[in-house]
Amino acid sequence: MPSQKTMPDLRLKTVLFAGLSLVLLLSGCGGSDSRTKARKAGLIYWPAANAQEIELATRAVDEWNALHPHIPVIVQPIPESQSTEEVLLAAIVGKTTPDVCSNIWPGVVGQFVRARALVALDSFSDFDSLAAARLPEGQREAFRHDDGHIYQMPWKTNPIMMEYNVKRLQEAGFKQPPATYSEFISMGEALTRDVNGDGQRDQWMMYVDINVKWWLRYFDFYTFYLAASGGQTLIKNRQVTFENEAAVAVFGFFRECFARGLFPTATFQGDTFLSGQMATHITGPWNIAHVDKFKTADFEFDYAPIPLPDGHEGPVTTYGDPKNIAIFTTCRNTGDAWAFVKFLVSRQQDLALLRIASQLPIRKNLLGDSLFGEYLQNNPKMARFAEQAPRTLGVDAAPELREVFDAISQEFEACCVLGRRTPQEAVRRAAQRSRQILQ
Amino acid sequence: MKRALHYSILLLGTIIFLYPFLWMISATFKPELEIASFGLWPSQFTLSSYEQVFAKIPILRSLFNSLLVSLSITASVLFFGSMVGYSLSRLRFRGRNLMLMVILFTMMIPFQLTIIPLYILMVKLHWTDSYMALIAPGMMSGFGVLLFRQFFQAIPQSLIDAARMDGLNDVQILFKIIWPLSRPVMITVGIITFMNTWNEVLWPLIVIRDRALMTMPQTVTIFAVSGMAEAQLGVKLAAATLLALPVIIAYAIFQRYFIESMASTGLK
Amino acid sequence: MKHPGKNGTDLTAATRSDKMPKKPKNNRTGYLLSLPYWVHFAFFMAYPLVFSFILVFHEWDIYTPMRWVGLGNFIRLFQDSLFWQAILNTLWFLVIHIPLQIALALLFAVLLNEKLRGRGFFRAAYFMPVVVSGIVIAILWQQLFSMENGILNLLLGSIGLAKVPWLISPEWAMPSVAIMATWKNVGLYIVLFLAGLQNIPSHLYEAAGIDGATAWQKFRHITLPMLNPAVLLVLILSTIGGFSLFIEPYVLTGGGPMNRTLSAMLYIYKQAFYFNRMGYAATLGFFFAFIILAVVLVQRKVVEQEALE
Repeated sequence: MPSQKTMPDLRLKTVLFAGLSLVLLLSGCGGSDSRTKARKAGLIYWPAANAQEIELATRAVDEWNALHPHIPVIVQPIPESQSTEEVLLAAIVGKTTPDVCSNIWPGVVGQFVRARALVALDSFSDFDSLAAARLPEGQREAFRHDDGHIYQMPWKTNPIMMEYNVKRLQEAGFKQPPATYSEFISMGEALTRDVNGDGQRDQWMMYVDINVKWWLRYFDFYTFYLAASGGQTLIKNRQVTFENEAAVAVFGFFRECFARGLFPTATFQGDTFLSGQMATHITGPWNIAHVDKFKTADFEFDYAPIPLPDGHEGPVTTYGDPKNIAIFTTCRNTGDAWAFVKFLVSRQQDLALLRIASQLPIRKNLLGDSLFGEYLQNNPKMARFAEQAPRTLGVDAAPELREVFDAISQEFEACCVLGRRTPQEAVRRAAQRSRQILQ
Repeated sequence: MKRALHYSILLLGTIIFLYPFLWMISATFKPELEIASFGLWPSQFTLSSYEQVFAKIPILRSLFNSLLVSLSITASVLFFGSMVGYSLSRLRFRGRNLMLMVILFTMMIPFQLTIIPLYILMVKLHWTDSYMALIAPGMMSGFGVLLFRQFFQAIPQSLIDAARMDGLNDVQILFKIIWPLSRPVMITVGIITFMNTWNEVLWPLIVIRDRALMTMPQTVTIFAVSGMAEAQLGVKLAAATLLALPVIIAYAIFQRYFIESMASTGLK
Repeated sequence: MKHPGKNGTDLTAATRSDKMPKKPKNNRTGYLLSLPYWVHFAFFMAYPLVFSFILVFHEWDIYTPMRWVGLGNFIRLFQDSLFWQAILNTLWFLVIHIPLQIALALLFAVLLNEKLRGRGFFRAAYFMPVVVSGIVIAILWQQLFSMENGILNLLLGSIGLAKVPWLISPEWAMPSVAIMATWKNVGLYIVLFLAGLQNIPSHLYEAAGIDGATAWQKFRHITLPMLNPAVLLVLILSTIGGFSLFIEPYVLTGGGPMNRTLSAMLYIYKQAFYFNRMGYAATLGFFFAFIILAVVLVQRKVVEQEALE
């Protein structure tokens, strides 16, 4: 009930007015964006935000700025907290895209093009000759958009392979990494064990993230599927193409490994491959530097192709996780941007990519080129990835790809992790839902 | 005998509702391996969980964001809400009844219906990743207006008439006569608005992607689900404790107001 | 500035004894003071409502131009097994949550309604989870529910029971979320029931006592019917809460395992912000809102009917 006080409550009022003026103040500066302020100077270049790529980009730009003082380039790493695709899409809506970005995933290029955000690179007269010199036969077409133009400069690829702990394999009497599913499983049976004798397992064959986030399936299901299907992707001409034996075999393989306990379902802290808890690991070339940096002195590791279903034979195709370079339509001087892109894919910069970021440039005849050959000879682990590089594939360019992967991931959980569905049923259900999604 | 039974049930209830909080707070001071136990007293007192939280996420910045957003919205709802409530209860003008009906109608609309178009509005206004997206949609509350209206209706007309005789206009009457009388309703509306805004996670998750602008619950949510805590329980719980602490302290001091205010949300 | 409050008509109004002053119909101050509401309404209510109606007929990812699909979104919705799963999940949540909530809230409210020492303390303790943010509760319960070393399973183990796969098994996940939600909300309903109990005139009990009614009969025939409005409130708030469930599954389970904790709101969020299907997400929102309204109306009817009997 109303109190008897009749004097105005000045304190409350002051607080309220202060709050309100704050709101009004904020409305004035709410829309401003730090990125827009830097616009006036030369070009803005967004590399990926990991430490190696930031170093790579900073060095490249320092070199460029020394050579081209009239076209200064500013490096702005993509904000870390979220995926590059989200950041770029938000930037497209806000018209705050950079001039050049080198972390473009081919899976979203279609969407960017439809939003009229990218510059067609084949409009530059020297694009064709440059691309032809860079790309192995036949691969150039994979980057062409539906409208016949190419909007991305193929830059780097990261073949996904099996990393394994050499000593643990040797201790269990295995001389070679497993090439087939049954070899993998019998090796897993030998390597998954209780070492300290407390009645609970403390060493396993491999850690597979059981979270259902769609993108996790690139590195287990999709990588194994590309290998098992001999390089068939999931969608062709908006038709689902993965309802086949290869997919069933992959689901069956993961289901069995989980059921046998070769893949633990618990969560762990730290790097379980480095700690010796896991004998193998699905990973890419970037992990070489990481393991070298943190391993103990006597830790030995090596890489091998992805295992295949029994009865299949190589050569093995794998997922490549490619990242390309694009120029955005917000760029005011595309000629300068194109010159900068050409600089980024020059031989010297490709070598820096190998050296600094341990990632592979998409470039013809890497092993035969003396510039790269010398580096690869001194880095035999990197050479394994370079050998694999010509047989890598990216993802299909459907805008609904995430949803398709989400559908697969849901079935992966139900079938492989929980063992509630047969591989046949899981593949059928995933395919059915994908058809609905693509409708 | 019956009394003893009553008390034991009530005490059991107290344990069920309070023990988890005590456990959570104590877990943040325990070494990681000790967390999975009932005990509340750490064998070894450590601050490492908190050190990691402060090192990994901009928790103080997000605390500032949350305070800024919640205080701005609360101030706005009290200020504008009381204005609208006053006009609805004490002034006659065309469209007044329509407005009352509109308010009741909008309060019935589930937010599931408007949340997507509202997000798109934010995109079109270029408000995503700005404080405006967090503050502007919350600046008015139909429920707050109704509470003010109800309270103002109970104020004796003679008081207002006397003020008018003294030559005060309606704006002056609202701020000089009515406001000082309105402490109870201000507290109720203030607490409800502040708590709702403070605890909101879904809307910030939708409109804010920039870490520097994230609210505290959002920062803690993203920390908890993104794997940044690297499966360490103590660190997650420390982040949760930091988020809960301001509210727990405020609640410990003003618990009567909290309970009465929040219970009134049910009394539509 | 002119203010109508200063002119003569107002003084005549003041002399009347009406509760509501008869003032000129077009009080300009009235327009002025109510303007903030209309501005806010236009931007953040009317526009979204109208736009949501446009969205449901379109396919749109925000970035590329909108595409008219007619009833395509509705057709997709009826064929979408996850939409039905989300509804089923929500109903399952409500089936567990509502009775548990009402039973516990009633029990504690009746106990607290007795003249006991420390009532205020107990009430404050039970209310604590209501004020603490849902995300804190979710992180806390994620640890309590942990399969291998969660407190709940340690507790079960210490009294010789088997571990429960709270969040891991598709069957247990939603009940676990419902238990957690009950723990969080029951304090509020205790207070609401308590207010209801205190409004029951004591002479009703006295009269029944004279007629020789037992404690149970008093509870069944006096307390429960008199608490009907409070029960209705619990039903309505829980239903809305069930369809708005978001942060709990988002943090605890991500909607899994096997989509068994995929809530309505989580599904809308996924469609809109993982897959950029704004039109479809708006359609989902449209339908869930419709279901909420329908369920709430039915509940109101049923409870009022029972009150009449």
